[in-house]
Amino acid sequence: MVRRLSLDSGKLALALIVGILIYQVVIPLLMVIWTSLKVERPGETGFFELSFSLANYTRAFGSGDFWQASWNTLYFALASTSSSFAFGTFLAWVVHRTNTPLARLIGVITLGRIIIPGILITVSWILLASPSIGVLNHALAGITGTKGILNVYSFWGMVWVHSLEMTPLAYLLLSAALQSMDPRLEEASGAAGAGHWSTLRRISLPLMLPAVGAAVMLLLIYTIETFEVPLLLGGRAQIRVYTTEIYFNTSRTPTDWGLSGAYSIAILFLCAGFLAIYFRLVRHGERYQTVTGKDFRPRRIDLGRWRYVTCALSLLLVFLITGLPFLVMLYASLLRRYQPPSLAVLQNLSLNNYYEILRDPVYSLDPMWNSTLVGLFSATAVMLLVSIMSYFVHKTRLRGRKLIDFFGFAPVAIPSVVLGTAFLWFYLLVPLPVLGTLTIICLAYVTRYMAVALRFVSTSMLQIHSELEEAAAVAGGAWWSNFRRIYLPLLRPGLMAGWFWVMVHAYRELTIALMLARSTNRTAAVVIYDLWENGSFPQLSAFGVLIFGLLIVLVLLGQTVGKRFGVQEQV
Amino acid sequence: MKRVVHCLKLALVGCVVLAVSSVDFLYAAAAQSPEQLFAELAKLKPDQRIKRLEEGSRKEGKLNFIHTFRGKLAREHVRLFEKRYPFIKVEMADMGSQDAAERFIAEETAGRHLTDSISLAVPDLPVILKQNLLADYPTPATSRIGKQFQGFLDKQNRWVPYYWSEHGISYNTNLIAPEKAPKSWQDLCNPAYKGQVSFDPPETRFMVGLYVLMGEEKFQEWLKCMGQNQPIIQRGHTQRMNLMLSGDHAVQGDNFLYVGAEEKKKDPKTPYAIVYSAPILAYAGVMIINKNTQSPHAAALFSDWTLSEESQKYIAAEFRGPLIGKHPYLPDNINVVTFGYVSDDIVDRLHGYWNQHIGKKK
Repeated sequence: MVRRLSLDSGKLALALIVGILIYQVVIPLLMVIWTSLKVERPGETGFFELSFSLANYTRAFGSGDFWQASWNTLYFALASTSSSFAFGTFLAWVVHRTNTPLARLIGVITLGRIIIPGILITVSWILLASPSIGVLNHALAGITGTKGILNVYSFWGMVWVHSLEMTPLAYLLLSAALQSMDPRLEEASGAAGAGHWSTLRRISLPLMLPAVGAAVMLLLIYTIETFEVPLLLGGRAQIRVYTTEIYFNTSRTPTDWGLSGAYSIAILFLCAGFLAIYFRLVRHGERYQTVTGKDFRPRRIDLGRWRYVTCALSLLLVFLITGLPFLVMLYASLLRRYQPPSLAVLQNLSLNNYYEILRDPVYSLDPMWNSTLVGLFSATAVMLLVSIMSYFVHKTRLRGRKLIDFFGFAPVAIPSVVLGTAFLWFYLLVPLPVLGTLTIICLAYVTRYMAVALRFVSTSMLQIHSELEEAAAVAGGAWWSNFRRIYLPLLRPGLMAGWFWVMVHAYRELTIALMLARSTNRTAAVVIYDLWENGSFPQLSAFGVLIFGLLIVLVLLGQTVGKRFGVQEQV
Repeated sequence: MKRVVHCLKLALVGCVVLAVSSVDFLYAAAAQSPEQLFAELAKLKPDQRIKRLEEGSRKEGKLNFIHTFRGKLAREHVRLFEKRYPFIKVEMADMGSQDAAERFIAEETAGRHLTDSISLAVPDLPVILKQNLLADYPTPATSRIGKQFQGFLDKQNRWVPYYWSEHGISYNTNLIAPEKAPKSWQDLCNPAYKGQVSFDPPETRFMVGLYVLMGEEKFQEWLKCMGQNQPIIQRGHTQRMNLMLSGDHAVQGDNFLYVGAEEKKKDPKTPYAIVYSAPILAYAGVMIINKNTQSPHAAALFSDWTLSEESQKYIAAEFRGPLIGKHPYLPDNINVVTFGYVSDDIVDRLHGYWNQHIGKKK
């Protein structure tokens, strides 16, 4: 009787997952594919007719400019991924596996970076390292007598800013894996005479292959998809990458949906390729299972006097990643209009920008509350969904399980603007009362963030040995009960890291929120965009500082709740 | 027996649904379309017209409107209208002109008539005009528009112009002395400004303005010499203006002049000056009404109100160009070149010229 119930709840969960994937991913994806094969725009006569054309693909890939942009993208992606991966791995290792002083603080500051909207960070770096007005350049000129040493408007400027942007993602993905690693293997390596470096290279990193693979894959994809840095920095340096090429080719009125669709499908194929490589890397899932029935606690390595060196290096890194841009934002938020620091300017600092924002609570505080709700709901829904998906992909022999992973990962290839439009069209055609509500934004975010959340959880799922579930099943546990009591607690590092990532990104996501915004469901990101388009950088900075403060409170609350339920992770 | 009762119940529900939809259908057939209403309104005397609009609006009670003014600017504008007509609740979304056009088309194509009226820039209208989604709305309110802006009116009354936006040249007075500042669009090609003149990435509106000012051949020549002068291309009008005012570069080859004027108003020490001797390129911001609007009276009343003294004063106070009354910061004697929209093939050619001469990529 129990076995039958167990089977049924598992099947029910599977049916639910397939249903959600079809509704949330397959339908928008089909809409993108359809649009890419049509010459007519949505709404024009013939759009729904069964006649197709490859004209959009010919236009998209027939120009030399596109291939030049693709080469630039490849260089940009490799350079940014390598450096952000190195930074993230180093920080994760220092925080979770060494006795470096201030490790916890270093972890919190690294994550603080995710909270600050990317557009503010990019502008902050313009103000820091612009050849003519950059604060750092002014300081360097004072020391060396040479002007314009740093140039943020260059290829390496783009790589630098984007690497810092991506470091927290690498940090989060690898942190989850480092925390779920059984230290006995490393201790055995140590006992056999291997040093710290040798153990890290030959034991720890290979054991973290799923996390490393996921991190590298996501960093590559995110770099290919990134827009703010190439637009604001690369645009001025006349360096076009894939996203800016797409933007410039499709941003004229009316939007060229067919061409956008063709570009999306190309990214989808690219992602499918990355995913295939990833599957090949982790095809022997049992090799990475370090979480077994035996209790363990990750060991911290005693670095001796070197711990002060790692502390200094980490502090420098997190200062560059979070501290410096935040200070620029804070400084700018106190100005009437942006000016490089001077005694005269410092004498005229005021809180006027904060006053301007807060004096109209309907404009600024309501959207913040909306974003809080959207962030909390989307993150929780996505993490629950992907943890079940990940179970079926990695812990069953189900036929077609890789399709679940593929469709769960596919949304990473759909640009936000295309996804937002697909959702808008879908709910205009399907008369569900979600237009103008927060629900439609949450639904879109579930799709948008499924891919990255899935990688967070899959990394932790691969580390859990199947013997735990087998033992529970023998003891008569039902599927849902086993999943809830065994997998969810053991997945906590990945779940918490993913939840944090999704919550913060849903909080500050702009494109979809803008497409689906009406008077009743404006989010904080829409206000940021308003301030960006119409306001000045100082007022935008003030709003950024307010959001930073609010999200810090949310994170601390999450941490407290996590501790209450025994979670000691990095969030 | 149970089955028979069940079938009877189903039949009854079916009949009710049919009856309700028939009433709806008959009502829809009998009711006036917005365009018929507007044609009828045009025949009324001004006071009768206003009375009828107000009565109708009172019954409708709401207006779904998309503003392309952003943020506070949009909210305060609508708040003034709501204060004047408290019986109309305006549900407003604010977004860019292009996004507004896309959303409107999507809604209408899906048969969901959710938006009653939109404020749009004329250069963004063609995509909507092609779909024939706009109601013809003749209104006496446009008779107040100044002579110099009569060119903004549409012969078919598909839109009501109510403000204008300007593109022009400006510079940082800390970096360039007034006597050395450019005097014309052609001056931007002067090697003295090499690497110091900034533009947004190719913008249809700006290029159409220059095309109207210079003609196609001279526009192409101008782009060629501009390209040789290595302009700065950076997206974001306001941010680019802020960067120039911070000393990042010297000249804005193209920007909304009000951005700097507003900064100067906030802080008179702002190092900003406008080149008045170069023609200023101007296009209209207009109100359009959905052919299928659910609140035709409220939409019409709002369109008329945008040209009221109250609305025009607000527009001027916020440094946008009013169509009635004095401009807040531009002198009366400047050369303003007005333009609307041009055909798709011309736009394609203009973008092609830009890519050829300025959009060189690495």
